[in-house]
Amino acid sequence: MSFQRFLIKRTAIAAMLTLISVSVIFASLRLLPSDPFSGLVASGALTAEQVTQLREMYGLDEPIYVQYLKYVRNLFTLQFGISLTQQRPVGEIIIPALMNTLVLLLPALVVTAVVSSVAGMYAGWNRGSKFEQAGIVVTTFFRASPIFVTGILLLIVFSYGLNWLPAFGMRSPMANPQGYAQTYLSVDFLKHYILPFTATVLFYSGDFLMLARNSVVERKGSEFLMLHRAKGLSEMKQLARAGRNSLLPLVTYFALRTGMLFQGVITLEVVFAWPGIGRALVQAILNQDYPTVQAAVFIMALAVIVMNLTADIAYAKLDPTIKAGDV
Amino acid sequence: MSGYSLDAETARDRLSSEFGRAKETMAVVWQDTGAKFGLVILASFVFIGLFGPYIAPYHPIEDTLRRQGAMMRLTAPSGKALLGTTSFGKDVLSQFLAGARPTLIIGLFGGIGTGILGFLVGLTSGYFGGRIDEFLMRLTDLTFALPLLPMALLILSFVSPNVWLITAVLVIFLWKMPARVIRSEVMTVKERTFVKSARARGAGHLRTMFLHVAPNVLGIGFLYTAYAVGWSIVAGASLAFLGFGDPTTTSWGRMLQQVFRSGAIRVAWWWVLPPAFGIAAVTTSVFLVGRAFEEIVNPELQTEEQ
Amino acid sequence: MSLLEVDDVKITYRTPDKDVHAVNNVSFSIEEGDNYGLVGESGSGKSTLAKSVLGLLDDNGEIRSGSITFNGRELTNLSEREWRDVRWEEIAYIPQSAMDSLDPVMTVGEQIREAIHTHKDVTDAAANERVEEVFDIVGLDPGRTEDYPHEFSGGMRQRVTIAMALVLDPDLIIADEPTTGLDVIVQDKIVQKLMEIQEEIDSSLLLITHEVGVVAETCDEVSVLYGGKVMEQGKTFDVFNDPHNPYTMGLKNAFPEVDEFDENAISIPGSLPDLVEEPTGCVFRNRCPFATEECESAHPPLVGDEDQASACYYNDRADELQERAADPETWGIDVPEDDEGSDVGEVIVETDGLEKWFEQSQSIVADLLGGEPNYVKAVNGVDLDIREGEILGIAGESGCGKSTLAEVVSALQSQTGGDILFEGRPVDDLLDEDTKQFRSKVQFIFQDPFDSLNPRQRVRAAVSEPLKVQGVEPEEIERRVRQTVSDVGLNPPEKYLDKHPDQLSGGERQRVAIAQALVLDPRLLICDEPASMLDVSLKANILNILREMADERDIGIAYISHDLASLSQIADRLAVMYLGRVVETGPTEEVVENPKHPYAASLLEASPRADPSIDRQRVLLPGEPPNPVDLPGGCNFAPRCPKATDKCRQEDPARSEFADGDHEAACFYPVEDIESELLARYAREREQADRESAANIAEHEPATET
Repeated sequence: MSFQRFLIKRTAIAAMLTLISVSVIFASLRLLPSDPFSGLVASGALTAEQVTQLREMYGLDEPIYVQYLKYVRNLFTLQFGISLTQQRPVGEIIIPALMNTLVLLLPALVVTAVVSSVAGMYAGWNRGSKFEQAGIVVTTFFRASPIFVTGILLLIVFSYGLNWLPAFGMRSPMANPQGYAQTYLSVDFLKHYILPFTATVLFYSGDFLMLARNSVVERKGSEFLMLHRAKGLSEMKQLARAGRNSLLPLVTYFALRTGMLFQGVITLEVVFAWPGIGRALVQAILNQDYPTVQAAVFIMALAVIVMNLTADIAYAKLDPTIKAGDV
Repeated sequence: MSGYSLDAETARDRLSSEFGRAKETMAVVWQDTGAKFGLVILASFVFIGLFGPYIAPYHPIEDTLRRQGAMMRLTAPSGKALLGTTSFGKDVLSQFLAGARPTLIIGLFGGIGTGILGFLVGLTSGYFGGRIDEFLMRLTDLTFALPLLPMALLILSFVSPNVWLITAVLVIFLWKMPARVIRSEVMTVKERTFVKSARARGAGHLRTMFLHVAPNVLGIGFLYTAYAVGWSIVAGASLAFLGFGDPTTTSWGRMLQQVFRSGAIRVAWWWVLPPAFGIAAVTTSVFLVGRAFEEIVNPELQTEEQ
Repeated sequence: MSLLEVDDVKITYRTPDKDVHAVNNVSFSIEEGDNYGLVGESGSGKSTLAKSVLGLLDDNGEIRSGSITFNGRELTNLSEREWRDVRWEEIAYIPQSAMDSLDPVMTVGEQIREAIHTHKDVTDAAANERVEEVFDIVGLDPGRTEDYPHEFSGGMRQRVTIAMALVLDPDLIIADEPTTGLDVIVQDKIVQKLMEIQEEIDSSLLLITHEVGVVAETCDEVSVLYGGKVMEQGKTFDVFNDPHNPYTMGLKNAFPEVDEFDENAISIPGSLPDLVEEPTGCVFRNRCPFATEECESAHPPLVGDEDQASACYYNDRADELQERAADPETWGIDVPEDDEGSDVGEVIVETDGLEKWFEQSQSIVADLLGGEPNYVKAVNGVDLDIREGEILGIAGESGCGKSTLAEVVSALQSQTGGDILFEGRPVDDLLDEDTKQFRSKVQFIFQDPFDSLNPRQRVRAAVSEPLKVQGVEPEEIERRVRQTVSDVGLNPPEKYLDKHPDQLSGGERQRVAIAQALVLDPRLLICDEPASMLDVSLKANILNILREMADERDIGIAYISHDLASLSQIADRLAVMYLGRVVETGPTEEVVENPKHPYAASLLEASPRADPSIDRQRVLLPGEPPNPVDLPGGCNFAPRCPKATDKCRQEDPARSEFADGDHEAACFYPVEDIESELLARYAREREQADRESAANIAEHEPATET
């Protein structure tokens, strides 16, 4: 299969998956028994008439398939509608939250991918060493424990115990920054940033470390490394060659992890009260704010699908021995 | 179909040899220090999960501790409450002992369910290939795309959560992981000569699949079942922490949720640490044992011995 | 002073429970400019020795005692840093499997340049020039230095590793099984190239191989290793012409010449010793038919002179032993009394214009435009038949379609054209009717004995499975399983029935696989290289079992192999395949002694001769088989055939173009006399090519100096 054919096929699959995902989201929201207004009626906050009006406003009185078509159309034109509980466009809620999450997680992921991969390669090369053993146990602890547990432990030690760093939110209550530059480039922000950043780095370190370590271990006995050694290459150079050969699974995994980023650490955002997309989603679910839920879940699904596609393409492009069709 | 299906004698023979292998494997895993610690922790966890409520000094929810008539709110560990009390005057130790059980149920059954479902899907997908494979793999792609926690939250926000429902929801979202790995493993095993050979000797698909392919990927299957136990515990605890656990029982995740919501996290370290370390120790143990096991079942990690 | 002196070296590998004594008190030396051969089967310690000379032993390997000196420098106590200077610049290495030895993510040029840069301070441009130069020397296109390893064929990759070994003009090149896994024609070319180069650059060569033929043709001196010990040592000619050691005799037996027909294949019974203890007696005593009590006492010392020395207590009786060693019964092999072979009976299976084409996927644009898809024509119009009690040998190089043919005939793959008739009825009908029954009549033996048994099944379960599938009664199963296991020479059966495959040796596993096939009493047995992965001394066993089955049970057997020597021993008729077609077929003796198709003739001539007194002229068939996707029009072989005319390029010769009784060949200009005609042409072409490459080298010479 030519690369072009492979690309077209993969993209088509990704598009189909996106459509099916949004349909599943739609279905699970609509099939669920209650809707947010019935609760309000029961409590007497709204009259039946007002509810009818509201339902009309949100298009909830139309036949289900019309609602579905409109919903799909709106999603793909990125019009997420109006929040049911906050009476403002969902975009206004979601986009800043998305930014906050990205600012926290992307740097953390990049840092941990680079550092842990290098450490993992070194550990694999020195299989059986103290460094390897300790590295595996420590990263396994942080990878295995739920991230909110790590977060809580960090909070107890560094915020409540030692009182070094703030425990809550993204900025001090008094700060009122304007624009991205002020928001993200201040000492106040940095202080709030350190703990959640550390928790994320620790959480993801285990996967990259083990993956890099295993890839290097797998290649260590290989014939081609023996030939490199026979050529007189120094140990560090041999390790570099083994590392280069292990890069492919790491890059692929990095792409996949990036896709799963938003859904991976929802509890972390809750623990640190980080105003990100995960926390926004949890609140929207608690408030039964459908449009916000739809938008947030859609963004999360889209990220996974797009990054999966990226990973496939990266794999096909990076490995000189693999023809695209074999992926 | 008689000759094409499995026969009891073969199955028995296979089982006994699998059992022998399992014993040998455990002996090797036991060599690994990390795994040894892990196994000890897991054994104590299972013990607490089974008998915790009976050895707890108080009822975790109904008993309110009082001293001189006053409710003991957020008191530090003392003779009366070895691990202190919660802000409602409940005994933390009792909650800790009772809270292991839901964690155990979700972990064990979530893990086993995930392992079995994933194994079967992966086996079918990898063995038959073609359209069946295409369909099943797109299905796994879909479950990858739909975010686990939000979807589980959504479902649980409308149905009142109980331990078994949570377990089922987790299995629905977790089976994809073992399925993918098993599938790729099956595709390698399928190409091996003895599988072709079995077909040439007249064995049907069912027989080839379950007697020749499956036993040779069983190790990986167990490995991912073990990991799935870990994932289930983490996911179950996360749900409980977000307030979507079973409201009628005490679990470690729920304990953390209560201490966090009540704001007592700032002071009541005795309330935070037992469930936090409980979860971390159990999941870490599962993974450590899994890692040691992986060194045995993953042939590619054995380059040095050859 | 010798270039390399290995003196009384002992090497052990530490494993968790025990030490393995891989090399025990081995000594040999290589003079400057000499070719030295180390011959032995797997486990003889030959590769371990080679690695120790480069300091490349695995972490658990250790030189316990003895010394290795190179150019007067002691190597055993070098630090890793000191090793780095010796490696490649002074001692280069050609690895065993070029397939896995090149870094898959680096271009070959980059890998070779890396060797240069590690040892010499030169510019990239100069390094590159040198790479192109060595590419040219080994016969690779210098324009391809920036290709990745996977873009080369197996033979070309081996040339890349040779080029890499040459690049720094080392004093010694160690070649570890450089031709294993290559087709015989390619192997022949590689060996030829090695010899040529080595003469030109005047380095020494340490050649490690299990192929007696390759050593006999290339090396001046040789050591025959067994169980970590030198069994015999000396001038190659003397050692193989007049072996003094029983092991050398046995090893030589295992390499029959292509034109030795109807002799019973002789193998060495038993299996290799495990080396967990230092040998207390002669390492070969358990398998040696001449062993006496004396052999138990200690491993015999090497006795003899520089020209030939043998480690045996009975060197003085060498002549007598040689005579006895030529008799199969000495080695415990039953010679069938009636050597006529059984009568050939009815035709069991017949193929008619059989085709198996694999569709190549094409670009989506071509697909949309409705372009004709390309096909790999793995099997392309094959007519063959196999009769009762007959062994049909199918010969050909890898990629010629012989394995696909085997799987299609046994209905493991479906054909895309033509017919297969089994006992006169189309196989498709039989499969529709009753797959089980068809499977009970046609059985298959696979190439890889190490992978052909389910690692989780005991022997009993493995052999009884086909019967269970057929629904045979349990008692009947037990009886037949025992009988069959015993028939394939695993005696007594009780000893083997409850073993797992990993407790069996390769030879034993392959016998279990044969038992699996035979337990159903098939009419037709198709064997795809059943002996190619076994140690040479065990190969003959398998051949003998198959021969017996054909003779006694009237089974028809198709024996597929690239090894012409074993084919000529076992097969009644021979079919030679090239690119999906049978180019020549006929009674084995006729085809081997009087090949008519130029391809068959070249293939036969390319087999190395184990007898050092035969001076073989090399046939250097130009090029490699073309890509089976775009086959040229006309005769497939025309592009490589020196006799091809325009007629050959336009018209495809029919199989019966040459016919003499049963002997048919698809050639317009059948070979009359190999020596005078074909070889002369090849020789002329080669001379011309040599002149050209010599001119090239002369041209490039100054460039290296600057």
